[in-house]
Amino acid sequence: MEKTSKSAKFYLALVFIVLYTPILYLIFYSFNSGGNMNNFESFTWEHYSAVFSDTRLIMILLNTVIVALLSALIATIVGVFGSIGIVFMRNKSLRRSILSLNNVLIVSPDVVIGASFLILFTAIGVKLGFASVLISHIAFSIPIVVLMVLPKLQDMNSTLIDAAADLGASKRDILTRVIIPFVKPGIFAGFFMALTYSLDDFAVTFFVTGNGFSTLSVEIYSMARTGITLTINALSGIIFIVTLVLVVGYYFVSQRGKNPVGMGVRK
Amino acid sequence: MSDNTIIRFENVTKSYDAETTVLKNINLELERGKFYTLLGPSGCGKTTILRLIAGFMQPTSGSIYFNGKLINNVPANERQVNTVFQDYALFPHLNVFENVAFGLRIKKLGKKVIEQKVIEALKFVNLVGYEKREIAEMSGGQRQRVAIARAIVNDPEIILLDEPLSALDLKLRSEMQYELRELQQRLGKTFIFVTHDQEEALAMSDEIFVLNEGEIEQSGTPMDIYDEPINRYVADFIGESNIVSGTMVADFRVKIGDKEFECVDQGLNPNEKVDIVIRPEDLEITAVDKGKMKVKVDTQLFRGVHYELSTYDDEGNEWLVHSTKKADVGASIGLDFDPEAIHVMRLNETEEEFDKRLESYGEDAYAN
Repeated sequence: MEKTSKSAKFYLALVFIVLYTPILYLIFYSFNSGGNMNNFESFTWEHYSAVFSDTRLIMILLNTVIVALLSALIATIVGVFGSIGIVFMRNKSLRRSILSLNNVLIVSPDVVIGASFLILFTAIGVKLGFASVLISHIAFSIPIVVLMVLPKLQDMNSTLIDAAADLGASKRDILTRVIIPFVKPGIFAGFFMALTYSLDDFAVTFFVTGNGFSTLSVEIYSMARTGITLTINALSGIIFIVTLVLVVGYYFVSQRGKNPVGMGVRK
Repeated sequence: MSDNTIIRFENVTKSYDAETTVLKNINLELERGKFYTLLGPSGCGKTTILRLIAGFMQPTSGSIYFNGKLINNVPANERQVNTVFQDYALFPHLNVFENVAFGLRIKKLGKKVIEQKVIEALKFVNLVGYEKREIAEMSGGQRQRVAIARAIVNDPEIILLDEPLSALDLKLRSEMQYELRELQQRLGKTFIFVTHDQEEALAMSDEIFVLNEGEIEQSGTPMDIYDEPINRYVADFIGESNIVSGTMVADFRVKIGDKEFECVDQGLNPNEKVDIVIRPEDLEITAVDKGKMKVKVDTQLFRGVHYELSTYDDEGNEWLVHSTKKADVGASIGLDFDPEAIHVMRLNETEEEFDKRLESYGEDAYAN
């Protein structure tokens, strides 16, 4: 590999400092006993214990996690079958247009998705709350899952399916014994991506939530509006760490998926 | 149709759309326990025949019978046929044992039975001890064996092999030729082997079908096809040959250029135009005055087992000669050959007419 030049290294360092300083600054003051972010008095866990003793906050945290897990799970199931359907679609122009529709959903702004869901839910009379949040999260997660699973499916040699049928496998056997195991890394990746998207979604949730139901990002937003307390810092710190763990988890899952391909043929 | 027939094609045609017909009215009959080869260049339809037997596609028209039963609409997973694919199509997410066990697991056999059968199949292909290996850890030749084991473990009546040796290097390929032939004889199953490699076909088969553009040009034992090719196409495709135009002067007399030679063919019309084949190894180098033909050596290549000489006669016909003797480039030499070496092919003769003509010569004329 080419050696990175000094100026390139400096530039890279600068970028990361700019990106991470605010977060580290925020986490740093979450340990401040002073109660504000102006000067650091002494180290304390009190803001963290405040987070954990606030039952309302814990409920919201649980809500967020449940919505994330459920929506990611359902979106993964729908997305996997959707991508299998897309891959085996005979009509090429139909396949292309469905893929384009899928990609449009990924790039379209959350605000638009959120607003349109709000209009839809109020029009058909769905009560805003857990259900509406869950449905909208599933909706914006499906395209992400499709995006992660589709390349794996396209990698799959179609003779594998012939081979399975040749060995007596029914359509169902082919799905459960060949296709799903083959795209498993993609499925995991899609699930984790959907999970993180759901966990940190603010814009869509902000539109479709109501009736006392709230998720963390929406709650933090409203807390920040009523006045900064260091509890927000502590909470943000916790979320940051959890996200970090998820990203690392995702890395290992995707590494495991790559492994057999990367391994050379031993003679 | 005899009781021994396992596969029968009746007027089978396969076309993808109005313009592309890959198989044209194929009729063939395959017997149980034999090693068949479908031979032809790419695009001749040989793989299509295989896929029709495996059940991956259905004929556009015509009927396919398996053990006397029509199987046109029987799906692939219900046929007593297993395939060894060109790219092996092993499941990358399963190890060697599980790949071989795949078909047995589908059949929901007991754990003990599966283990015993898989080990037995691996023994057949000399892969005992590799059960736990991942497919990515196996070499090309080993993957090939896994694919064969995966096919034979299900005890199918027919094993289809779709150019399984084409991805292997030369040495391994000839080793596998021996092994496949031996395996077929030990198992006693019908093997249908698809290849574009004529040497492979000659070495392994009981019977060869030579295909060209969706039609069977000739079928027969390797010796029949090598010694008595029906036309220019087959002669050219099977082995190296000298093919020249000639005229049948009378029975047992054929004229090439302005020279007449003795041959063993008869029953053709006087002065009929024919194609003549002489195999390079049937031509022998002698002194100019002793030979039946006088040629000039153009080039000479050392091929290991023999020299390959490219020579030209006075009419400008090229004669390829395989000889263990060396000649001088640019020198004139004589070529000698037996009457049996001359093989006369009528233009546009069908396989039926061809077989009838050969039979009329009597056994002694073309027996080796």
